[in-house]
Amino acid sequence: MFNQRMLSILKRELKDKILSRTFIVMTLLVPLFMVIILALPTYLMTMDKNDNFNITVITENNKIADNLKTELGKIESVKEGKSRIKFLVKDENGLKEYLKENKQKILNENITGVIYLPKKSAADKRLKFYSNNPNNKNLFNQLKGSFNQVLTDNYFSGKNLSEKDVKYARTRVFFDSFRISKDASIKAESKGNRIISFLLTFLLYFSLIYMGTMVMRSVVEEKNSKIVEVILSSVSSKELMTGKILGAAITGLLQMIIWLTPLILLISTSIFIIPAEFALQIDMPLILYFLFNFFIGLITFLGLFATVGSIFDNDQDAQSGIWPLMMLVIIPFFIAIAIQDNPNNSIGYISSMFPFASIIVMPAKMSLIDVPLWQILISVVVNLGTMFGIFILAGKVYRVGILSTGKKPKWSEVIKWLKYKY
Amino acid sequence: MNILEVKNLYKSFDTIKAVDGVSFNIKQGSVFGLIGRNGAGKTTTLRMMMNIYTPDSGEILLNGKHIDNEFKKKVGYLPEERGLYKKMTVMDTLLFFADVKGKKGADIKRKANEYLERFDLADRKLTKIQDLSKGNQQKIQFIATILHDPEFLVLDEPFSGLDPINTDLLRQIIIDLRDKGKVIIFSTHLMDFAEKMCDYITMIDHGKIILDGNLSELKAQYAKKNVSLNYEGDISFLKNNSMIESIDDFGNTTGIRLKSASDIQELLKLLVNNNVTVKKFDANDISLHEIFVLLAENNEVKEEKNV
Repeated sequence: MFNQRMLSILKRELKDKILSRTFIVMTLLVPLFMVIILALPTYLMTMDKNDNFNITVITENNKIADNLKTELGKIESVKEGKSRIKFLVKDENGLKEYLKENKQKILNENITGVIYLPKKSAADKRLKFYSNNPNNKNLFNQLKGSFNQVLTDNYFSGKNLSEKDVKYARTRVFFDSFRISKDASIKAESKGNRIISFLLTFLLYFSLIYMGTMVMRSVVEEKNSKIVEVILSSVSSKELMTGKILGAAITGLLQMIIWLTPLILLISTSIFIIPAEFALQIDMPLILYFLFNFFIGLITFLGLFATVGSIFDNDQDAQSGIWPLMMLVIIPFFIAIAIQDNPNNSIGYISSMFPFASIIVMPAKMSLIDVPLWQILISVVVNLGTMFGIFILAGKVYRVGILSTGKKPKWSEVIKWLKYKY
Repeated sequence: MNILEVKNLYKSFDTIKAVDGVSFNIKQGSVFGLIGRNGAGKTTTLRMMMNIYTPDSGEILLNGKHIDNEFKKKVGYLPEERGLYKKMTVMDTLLFFADVKGKKGADIKRKANEYLERFDLADRKLTKIQDLSKGNQQKIQFIATILHDPEFLVLDEPFSGLDPINTDLLRQIIIDLRDKGKVIIFSTHLMDFAEKMCDYITMIDHGKIILDGNLSELKAQYAKKNVSLNYEGDISFLKNNSMIESIDDFGNTTGIRLKSASDIQELLKLLVNNNVTVKKFDANDISLHEIFVLLAENNEVKEEKNV
């Protein structure tokens, strides 16, 4: 299988793919796209903070209202006059009346909301919020601190406590996270790992589908433009398939290395300085594992995509035939994203060692936590086994498929091809 | 000497017997024609010879040894279903097809240039295949088939899509190659070409061989009762004549098949007596076309009886 004929095919594939315009554009465009994807949520969040509001605060006594005036007055948008707060002193019946009178204003959001502090709230800090949009987390986040401060101060006032005690009572609990690893000492955990995990998962997912579709199309093209029989007079179908898949896999690997170069430079040199909050725990062995795993995954999936390509003789039929394959990539992708919150849950545990899923889930898991060596080894064995298994099956369908023309075959017929002596 | 022997090939696809016990031998330095109508089993036979299909049973021997993938290097195969990579340039295409056959270097490049010159395509070296006309693509396809200097040339319907000038050019090159001692195997349903070019003929129908041998011997064997006639006038009076078996109008010539070989003189006398101007009366000629139609029809009758 690995001979001069296969190498000729491989060389042509490499030349055809690496020198193509799509390859160059994609290689440049994807990092740009990644930056946008990662930066967009942060950008949207900062946009969100600047939301202006117009609220009415109803208290049952003047003292709390005065304190709130000072405290809420410190909020940026209130200071600038963009957000407005109206203070009223009313009891529960007064509130009901007020709501009735201003119903229309609340409905068309002239009034963002009405906050009512019942008498009880001085003791239990439970406030009531009336609005057209009662789950306005953004607003709560802006106001929570001020209300907490006023209510806490109010509660402790006259209780003869030092300023220090009151300050302690005001502060919330905060988790500083650290990661325990087998080899190194205890390190502070950072947001950087989650970003990297997401980035690696996304690149893996994207590249598998992108390269897969490309191989499928090139197989369909060979069939469609009838080159295939000419080539088969020089090489066997197995050599042709191997050459094609290896050519595309090497192209994909090269592209991935280009994409990861900034990351590799980041962890192996001190050219870039990143804030401690985003400090990365990933190391070269992880990157190398990632690339190795990616290459195995590419060969496996490209084998499947090439097979689907060989079954159909036009792009449209082939596109409709690849959805089962897409599922094999998309489901593990979502699992890999889902395990970011808790990489040790049982779905993550099983899928990181399950055929196909392992290719995408395991690297994501490894960039989040320390995975025991035996699990990594099982994953590697499973992946290699899957790759060889797929290659044998794919080869059998491929050799029949590439020479079949005419009507679109049924899946049951394709199963029969496996048994053909060709 | 038989250089290539095909013995008892069988190949079925599901319930269809595509090739049903085919055997023939091919001699060094000859042009061998595999003829038959569409769907007769020609392409399947050739694919088995090219090791693209594995036969259900039977064997193919090259100099007495089983063929393998190395045999592919010695063959130039021009399949009926053919094409090129559309986005490659002419020169890249030629070099790629030579490369898969294990031939590369300055020598191949020089030869590629020579062939391009001969086919009047020297200025299109850097043109992409998709920008060539269909006829020019066919020429490139043919150069790609012969560039690696194969010992065997397997051509499946080689002339389809070529204009008369290029057909002649191609025919000349095939003859040149034969004169250099190459073995040419070609499959066609165009009897005209087969007749002009082949030394040996194997006719295949419904997966079975119905005719096999040296072309001139075959013609002699079938010709005895046949007359090939060029004339002016009316020959409709022959239709009901008792000594005539059939009359076939081939356009320029008319083939007349008699019931008995001894009636040939009688036929000529009859034509002259009826004021028909005889321009050519060839009592020893039968076209391959006629043999083909005759045999295919007989075979049809047999097949029907078997069913």
